[in-house]
Amino acid sequence: MALQTEAAMATDELLILEFQKGSREAFSELFLRYRELIYAFFRRRVKDAARAEDLAQETFIAILRGIQRYEPRATFRTYLFGIAYKILANHRRKLDQNSGGVGSGFDLPDPSAPGNAQTGMWVREAIAKLDGNDREVLLLREYEELSYEEIAGVLRVPVNTVRSRLFRARMALKEILVSVPGKSVRKENALDSSI
Amino acid sequence: MRSTHPFELEEVMAYLDGEISADRASEIAQHMQQCGECRELAVGFRNLSRELSAWEIEASPERLTNEMNAEISAAAERQPKQIRSASVELTPLERLIAPIRSLKGRPWVWAGAGAFVMVLLVAVVLAVPNLLRVRPEVLIAAREMELRELQKRMAQQQVASSLEYNQADERYSASVTDKSAVATMPPPPPPGTSASTAPMIARTASLSLVVKDFSAIQAAVKAVVSRHSGYIGELNTSTPPDAAKTFSATLRVPSAQLEPALAELKQLGRADQESQSGEEVTKQYVDLAARLKNSRATEERLLGVLRNNTGKVKDVLEVENEISRVRGEIEGMEADQRALQARIDFATITLSVTEEYKASLNGAPSSTGTRLHNAFVTGYHSVVENMVGLTAWLLESGPTLLLWVALLFFPLRWAWRRLRRTLTSTPKAAAA
Repeated sequence: MALQTEAAMATDELLILEFQKGSREAFSELFLRYRELIYAFFRRRVKDAARAEDLAQETFIAILRGIQRYEPRATFRTYLFGIAYKILANHRRKLDQNSGGVGSGFDLPDPSAPGNAQTGMWVREAIAKLDGNDREVLLLREYEELSYEEIAGVLRVPVNTVRSRLFRARMALKEILVSVPGKSVRKENALDSSI
Repeated sequence: MRSTHPFELEEVMAYLDGEISADRASEIAQHMQQCGECRELAVGFRNLSRELSAWEIEASPERLTNEMNAEISAAAERQPKQIRSASVELTPLERLIAPIRSLKGRPWVWAGAGAFVMVLLVAVVLAVPNLLRVRPEVLIAAREMELRELQKRMAQQQVASSLEYNQADERYSASVTDKSAVATMPPPPPPGTSASTAPMIARTASLSLVVKDFSAIQAAVKAVVSRHSGYIGELNTSTPPDAAKTFSATLRVPSAQLEPALAELKQLGRADQESQSGEEVTKQYVDLAARLKNSRATEERLLGVLRNNTGKVKDVLEVENEISRVRGEIEGMEADQRALQARIDFATITLSVTEEYKASLNGAPSSTGTRLHNAFVTGYHSVVENMVGLTAWLLESGPTLLLWVALLFFPLRWAWRRLRRTLTSTPKAAAA
């Protein structure tokens, strides 16, 4: 119990080092911290809910099995989302191969599919219209709440590129959302739900 | 309006995101109090974030947690091995593998090591032929040492077997005039020596010299040869008008005098090339001696028959014919033996002397037209030669080059990308 309390107070970096030394509780704590974020990461990018769950699990298993290779050179979040992003890229590549190389690189989740009880359809549609690179930066910033530097680490691009892409994505998204008909009603709802 | 704006809008966005340095942030904060455009941007971005939050995701399925818990438990069972490897004393094998294991997951280390090994391999491949190419002077020295060893052995064996000699061959002693010089060299065995005697070596040497003063060289060579009781077998001199003069000669000196004669010859100029060899002719010599002995015995017997038998004239004539045939054979063999003996007694030096050529201004200069024509022809030949050479080189080295390009392409491309990334990200990160 004392260990669990300690784990709950420790930073991610400390926990991953503890886990590297063999602490099972440390990894459990990390999993609890990032379970929802990683699941949401894939859920926002993959059409199928079950596939998103598989990919989230794959991400945590990759960290679990590759723990001996971990080096504390960047934040744990960069490391975690870096792995998630690689797994996502592999998934997209496979999809592209299966579809004959005409994949969009972004699967807009299907709201009518079972288990896809997501909200903000107009937001998703607007995001889907963004340029692929800009969209990725926007998602990582707005939903995963990564810092510019962490995003740069995950995407392996310079920080300035991250800033430019983010600015471009936000400006474009603003334009798209302004032109969405009947958005204001839903916007009100969204604001209500966020408050 | 934007031209007078003191900040990039991107920078304002970074400020709103808390991604800017403290001093810059305070400047922007001050600016925003006065700038309507920036405030509008801030409100727009805040609203955008609010709008984006409308996209909510349901909680992760319980199954994910359950399955991960099972994975964590399974990993915990596997993990003691890893932990033990760090805390418990390692076996020698594990200690050996540990550094390699620690490199796992560092592709750049492997790529770097791979590239290094390849470069090393290339260096070794290039260097080995040069290392294996022994310098000629080393070879000559080794050869001289071998010959000296051989002479020493011959001398020892001949002293041991000298009592077995039936009689000394007069021709041998007559052919060597300088007795004192021969004293250092073991005397070749006379004819009729048994096969167990020392080997007989016919020695040859070749020497190429480059000299400055060509006019004196012929006399100097003759002097050297006569000093060592030798003679000049053949001599050719060539003095072309627009090229270096050359002089080649076949010199014969007593075998024992070969070394000192060569040493003296080398002093006449710069030795360009030198080689020595020795051919063992013992078997030839012994065969010849045995056949000669048999023929002489046959001759003796035939002479005896002729002396004692006074038969028919026809028989006498037949014996005489036979005697003359055997005599002819004996003389032929004796000539061969003399020649062989001469090869053993006298070493052969093939000397080639070249003058250090200096172009002179003799003769009238060619006309400009001729010179231009000649230059054009030379240039054309040069172009053709170069093209043929280049093609030949490509054909010869192309496959090897392709192999190395294929081997080094990926490590180098990886290294270049990494370097470029480092170079581009560092200044930008610093600026941010």
